[in-house]
Amino acid sequence: MSTNPEPRSAEQILAEEFLLARSRVLDLAAFLDRLERAQGSTEHATQMQLLSQGLNILCDGEPEKARRVQLLMSREYDPAWRKNYGLH
Amino acid sequence: MDYIDPHIHMVSRTTDDYETLARMGCVAMSEPAFWAGFDRGSVDSFRDYFRQLTQFEPKRAAQFGIKHYTWLCINAKEAENVSLSREVIAMIPEFLTAPNVLGIGEIGLNKNTKNESTIFLEHVELAVKYQQQILIHTPHLEDKYQGTRMILDMLMHDTRVDRSRVLVDHVEEHTIEAVLENGFWAGMTLYPVTKCTPQRAADMIERYGPERLMANSAGDWGPSKPTAIPDLIMELKRRGHTREQIHRVVYENPRRFFAQSSNFRTHDLP
Ligand SMILES: [Zn+2]
Repeated sequence: MSTNPEPRSAEQILAEEFLLARSRVLDLAAFLDRLERAQGSTEHATQMQLLSQGLNILCDGEPEKARRVQLLMSREYDPAWRKNYGLH
Repeated sequence: MDYIDPHIHMVSRTTDDYETLARMGCVAMSEPAFWAGFDRGSVDSFRDYFRQLTQFEPKRAAQFGIKHYTWLCINAKEAENVSLSREVIAMIPEFLTAPNVLGIGEIGLNKNTKNESTIFLEHVELAVKYQQQILIHTPHLEDKYQGTRMILDMLMHDTRVDRSRVLVDHVEEHTIEAVLENGFWAGMTLYPVTKCTPQRAADMIERYGPERLMANSAGDWGPSKPTAIPDLIMELKRRGHTREQIHRVVYENPRRFFAQSSNFRTHDLP
């Protein structure tokens, strides 16, 4: 169900938001450059693996990208958690 | 446009902020009890905090024509201290008849621990006993998905809980669906960096519709923006949403939810 009577077309959204998306890609690129230039190494850090898997989601051509990036960055849910905690 | 902020921590804000919010159209707000940035040492510290929430803040808000409501609890972070939590829960009924109290909140989880879960369940028990509405805090970042699922599990396990009287806050793309499809109300928190932007909130409104969905600013002592709801209104206008559709999310929904509390008086709002 949508609250929007005349949803914006894809062309319209791209025209309106391209500069914003462009700036975000640049922010990310500059962040990676900054890491590259700095002393030390983050190559094997968990956060770097998460970022790299997140970037793959952006490029995989599948829907629900925001939701999938969120789940990637989340701890898993164990349906047996109550039992594990001894709660009823 | 007149709007209601259903989750904002005004004890952390200045009187100037009240004035700015009033100028931007805020006519009412609700302030859940939460963490003060440090752990409080005793139950009396909470009693004073609850006096601030039920006596001082409503007066400060009224100076600018804003109606101030509140929710009482010990927050998830301090709930790790089980004995202090039980003292606070035992003291809360002293304040439940204060005219601006809407219910119990924001209760929830922080790091999803056993102690937090135990105290969450004891708060739910209190809410059921006193027929109070509930406002829920879901954890942040990597803990949000797991914690939200645990919270929904606890609430849905208890058949006495009326889901239409529970608001689950800080929902994001990966948690909103489970909250709405199980009959709860959902709140999106517009908060820089760690939570949700006005653009992403607008996306969720377009995706899930306005039914039982609202937005808030949190406006606390962290890097937050108390005027975030006007930002969302601007974004929705920019996308071509009508005045009526926007009003539904930022005014009608919180008003309808608040109206289920016994202390709420309809004529309090414009
Ligand atoms: Zn809060």
